[in-house]
Amino acid sequence: MRLQFDDSVEAFRAELLEWLALNRPSAETMAADPSVSTGHAPEWARRWTRTMFDAGWLVPGWPPELGGRNATPTQTLVYLEELAKAGVPRTTNVQGLGIVAPSIIDYGSEAQIRDYAMRILRGEATACLGMSEPDAGSDLAALRTRAVRDGDHFVVDGQKVWTSGANYADFCFVFCRTDPDVPKHKGISILIVDMDSPGITVRPLPEIVHPEHPDLNEVFFDGVQVPADHLVGELNAGWAMANGSLAHERGMVWVSAVQGISEAMAHLHEEAPDRIDALPPDERALAIDRITQVEIDAFAARCLGYRAFAKLARGGSAPEQALMKLFTSETRQAVAEVAAALQGPDALVVGGASFDGHQAIDEPQGTWLEQYFVSFANTISAGTSEIQRTIIAERVLGLPREPRPA
Amino acid sequence: MDLELDADQLELRDHARAFLADACPPSLVRGVYEGTGTADGLWKSMVDLGWPALGIDVADDGLGQGFIAEAVLVGELGRVVAPTPYLATVTQLAPMLAEAGAHDVLARIAAGTCTGTLAVHETTAKASRHITAQAIPIGGGRRVLDGTKTHVLDGATADEVAVVVRGGPDDERGLGIVLVPREAFDAEPLIVIDPTMPLATLHLDGIEVDADRVLIEPGSPEAGWRIGLVQAHATVAMAISCVATCRAILEATVEYAKQRHQFGRPIGSFQAIKHRLADLYLAVERADALAWYAACTIAEQDRSGHAPMAAHMAKAAAGDCQRLATRDGLQLHGGIGFTWENDLHFLLKRAVTTAFLFGDAASHRVQLAQCRGLEA
Ligand SMILES: Cc1cc2nc3c(=O)[nH]c(=O)nc-3n(C[C@H](O)[C@H](O)[C@H](O)COP(=O)(O)OP(=O)(O)OC[C@H]3O[C@@H](n4cnc5c(N)ncnc54)[C@H](O)[C@@H]3O)c2cc1C
Repeated sequence: MRLQFDDSVEAFRAELLEWLALNRPSAETMAADPSVSTGHAPEWARRWTRTMFDAGWLVPGWPPELGGRNATPTQTLVYLEELAKAGVPRTTNVQGLGIVAPSIIDYGSEAQIRDYAMRILRGEATACLGMSEPDAGSDLAALRTRAVRDGDHFVVDGQKVWTSGANYADFCFVFCRTDPDVPKHKGISILIVDMDSPGITVRPLPEIVHPEHPDLNEVFFDGVQVPADHLVGELNAGWAMANGSLAHERGMVWVSAVQGISEAMAHLHEEAPDRIDALPPDERALAIDRITQVEIDAFAARCLGYRAFAKLARGGSAPEQALMKLFTSETRQAVAEVAAALQGPDALVVGGASFDGHQAIDEPQGTWLEQYFVSFANTISAGTSEIQRTIIAERVLGLPREPRPA
Repeated sequence: MDLELDADQLELRDHARAFLADACPPSLVRGVYEGTGTADGLWKSMVDLGWPALGIDVADDGLGQGFIAEAVLVGELGRVVAPTPYLATVTQLAPMLAEAGAHDVLARIAAGTCTGTLAVHETTAKASRHITAQAIPIGGGRRVLDGTKTHVLDGATADEVAVVVRGGPDDERGLGIVLVPREAFDAEPLIVIDPTMPLATLHLDGIEVDADRVLIEPGSPEAGWRIGLVQAHATVAMAISCVATCRAILEATVEYAKQRHQFGRPIGSFQAIKHRLADLYLAVERADALAWYAACTIAEQDRSGHAPMAAHMAKAAAGDCQRLATRDGLQLHGGIGFTWENDLHFLLKRAVTTAFLFGDAASHRVQLAQCRGLEA
């Protein structure tokens, strides 16, 4: 129990900061050619991913051949924190680097690692994640997109939705039903599907803010032929891998989430004195109290993150991550909501706020009210807040599962 | 930053938990509640184990284990609603003595031959942030007291009381601390909802204090700041205690939700109950993480100014967590939680008591905002 890291960790931090200062893309470079979708890697982003890969800074915890340096978990924590502070994304293709590549490395064949995972790691390709469907959101296992084996191919028919980055991605990690006659969790498989395969139609779904740069898509599969060796892992073993994929996603995403919350909070504190002065005197105490409540949440998020990390580093259980997902996403939302409310009707004016691109970092962007709406991306995606509460109740507190329909 | 207990601290926690399971069962708490027993034996065994000495510096005859070890014990005592002078003596008086360099009394605390408390509050708990009690100079370094302190924990039984005072009638005069022995003043015990946390009103008018009992000279350089640090120490301990009690409420309620069946299934399988318990768990974790962060600022004697802010956050979060724990802990137990016979109410009342003493959530949020320069 202590507030400081030891010297070896600080030495690691110093080495990283020195390297970053010399090699990072500048804010101007990034702004000049913004990423318009999480499947879109502009030229600077591809180069930057490659630079990090070559220097062993892309996924520090991995061995050098995978773009790492066998860093310890604590070093990885420091790395993620410093990158978030520096405002540099590791990649613009979050789901590719964060979920798809690690899943292929864990479960895929050598050829899949070489042709797909490594290309993501070297900045040569981007990936999207095809899990959700119109009738399979929280109940993901209800997915219906069919993959039927036909000789040396699978034939895929069906529809995905909310597929982030599918409008630019090179390939998709598609969850398909390969056996409709067994209980729903037992008939799911994962296929790697090239997005330029005949029979795929992508229809962008403009979002609640910045509709001019859609990231979400519907993806339609109509008799798409996928080579049989694009099956990831075992046939019908997709559900277990899905849980593995999401664990990759949840591992340390809180670090940049917490950094985003701190930055939003710092902005709020900068604005607060003037905003409070402008309020009628009898409204000031209440406004200050709301700010203070979210300030405490913001700091608690950091402390909770460090604790969850310490538990994980000492071999604790992963379900704690549900707590971080729930708390950081709801805190981010609360900060934006309090800040927007403090602005009063000024919050309604959005003109002039520029779009910095899907930089895949949790840095606050846009007006407070825009940030408030954008914050729902995190309370809805990757398991909604309600689903997280159920996970906490069942897997952390050990409450009995609800009787489920067969 | 590492906010988990290390191996030694975990061992201490497990030892303490095992010891208290025997030495402080709910029947002992009930005895204190119903006036049919005392916890004197419990305190004696704690002294035999060296607990009062644990966090006190070796130079003052303590064991020098620091505040984290002390806080571990505070938490374990809070879990079982232990009726002992530990909290007031070790986390309120002792740090004040340490700040003032009062070796002799500290050594007596370490030896277990002296109990004590800190008298801060006045008139009503809500008005407590303004100190009016005075210690007026009467020559030769001596002072005479004028004022009344309220809601003093163990105020009617503690051997030594450190009193927060002003140097005179004038508001400008700074704060200071005087140490008053039990026999010098009139203490009026209050009838309180949680008899394991006895409170008293202390009437201090006309009491004369010798120079060597002026622990911190009113208006001396940094007096207010030093007293603030000690208050932060006591506040964080109160927060740790409160959160530990809340965690015990959470655990009891989760257990009950697994066992109690209605409509042919455990009530804990209903989502309405699951989500309330998940939120309570979140509130407990949030408050616990902030409390231990604050504990680190105390343990590492952080003088950068962050300790008081961390203490405000910790106590505010403890208060938030208590609100949920008390409400949902009682509500989800149904009728059985409403009875005197069931032990749950010991936890509920202790949680409220520790949430309200040394400032409730709203009060600490206001103070945190003031640290940030935000004032209405
Ligand atoms: C910004 C964004 C990006 C996304 N990116 C991707 C992506 O790249 N790939 C992908 O596959 N998917 C993606 N998704 C989809 C996302 O995973 C789903 O939206 C999410 O799982 C919820 O599913 P749904 O939208 O169908 O809502 P529903 O499941 O229909 O939920 C509607 C409401 O009902 C509640 N609810 C549902 N079931 C329960 C229950 N059992 N108990 C209590 N409440 C319940 C939910 O919490 C929610 O409030 C993305 C979503 C968003 C918002």
